[in-house]
Amino acid sequence: MNSQSSSDPRQAVRAAAQWLALLESGGANEQDRANLQRWRDTCASHEQAWQKAQALRQRFADLPSALALSSLDRPDPGRRAVLKRALGAVALVPTAWLISRQLPLDVWRADLHTATGERKKVQLADGSSLQLNTASAVDVDVQNRRVKLIEGELSLKVPGIAPLTIQTKFGNVILSQSEVCVRQEAWGCRVSVFNGSVQLQPLHGAALALREGQQVSLEAAGVGAITPFDALAPGWREGVLMAKNQLLGDFLRELGTYRPGVLRWEPELETLRVTGSFRLDDTDRVLALLAASLPLEVHSRTRYWVTLLPRKNSV
Amino acid sequence: MSDAAMPKEQTLHDLYRDHRGWLEGWLRRRMGNGCDAADLSQDTFLRVLASSQRIADLQEPRAYLLTVGKRLLSNFYQRRSLEQAYLAALASMPEDCAPSPEQRWLLLETLQALDELLDGLPRAVRRAFLWSQLEGLNYQQIAERLRVSERTIKRYMAQAYEHCLLVEL
Repeated sequence: MNSQSSSDPRQAVRAAAQWLALLESGGANEQDRANLQRWRDTCASHEQAWQKAQALRQRFADLPSALALSSLDRPDPGRRAVLKRALGAVALVPTAWLISRQLPLDVWRADLHTATGERKKVQLADGSSLQLNTASAVDVDVQNRRVKLIEGELSLKVPGIAPLTIQTKFGNVILSQSEVCVRQEAWGCRVSVFNGSVQLQPLHGAALALREGQQVSLEAAGVGAITPFDALAPGWREGVLMAKNQLLGDFLRELGTYRPGVLRWEPELETLRVTGSFRLDDTDRVLALLAASLPLEVHSRTRYWVTLLPRKNSV
Repeated sequence: MSDAAMPKEQTLHDLYRDHRGWLEGWLRRRMGNGCDAADLSQDTFLRVLASSQRIADLQEPRAYLLTVGKRLLSNFYQRRSLEQAYLAALASMPEDCAPSPEQRWLLLETLQALDELLDGLPRAVRRAFLWSQLEGLNYQQIAERLRVSERTIKRYMAQAYEHCLLVEL
């Protein structure tokens, strides 16, 4: 076993792979184990490679094995090899964006979560009601009166006087006798007050109050401007997606968050306008409605892969 | 304004205008399907937009587009074959063992990422690795199945680990 010290990550990875295979083979003795420990202690890059190898094993261990095996060990290697030769593609390097899209583990550990396209409503022990929008996750700690928004969007209605705190990556929202919607994205959090008023504690800067009909963005850099919104218009909490002369591109980006899989459209469709009120529980039907009212057609490549194209025969 | 000072969007626009029809035609002939070809050609331009390659610096834009397009085409077939195998496996599972509908899509995405990760490994190495990780077989059992020595399996496993870890470096 080559256990010389090196900070080259490639060599570290190679050594980690060999150590792991040795351990798994059952052929490692006490001396080998001691050597492995010494190798790991020698250099930070060694330990890092070792941890990465463990994480790799864990990724496979978390899968339902029968299903994963029939998918990953599917019998069509011949065709693929032929295809690759035909393409002249020798080394197909996986793209980074695919690798990074792993199962979000912290979502599974959350108390409550929804899948893409799913919405959920629960009553908390204190009489508050919590609703989760599509692809969302929260940790609820009723005893400490805390709801942590891990991902996605929630709506919380607190009828009592005892305040509840919503924790986000961009600050806290404290509410009692009020109703609020919080949507967390990579860039920040949008807080909209539907009833009563709430206290906001941004990561930096002074706390502020937000009243019914107002919304604001909490971002890492600070708080955006307070703007009014229509608190009476139906929205996702009623299972409705509303559009008022909206750009089709914006509408589809929103609709896409409710659909598992890929939804895409030709750039020239981006600037069409859409108006209407659509039911979120059947997004295929929303697409069919769009196709009926706009010059576009729906092309389903696979069950999870839909493309909107300009209608060709529109004269 | 010189080319070098042009915003990326502008040059992408030119690239799209000048070569999209040609690329789509090439893909259509390969795939025999206009809609899929249109999709993949759009993907190709998106990938170019996302890459660090300066469009204004491209000497042979069509050769570059073709390289990216070929890679996406192969990727497309691979993803489709995985999805088919996955749906077939789901369909053959007893109702109470199958994952809930809400988990199916996430699981497929994970499997696709792992499928890409394993891409490029020789068939036997890939199988040895999957049997070890997913079925929990030991090296002796894998050696018996593949009719090779345990020593070979150890080499296969090290190769597979190294391959996956290198991809993620």
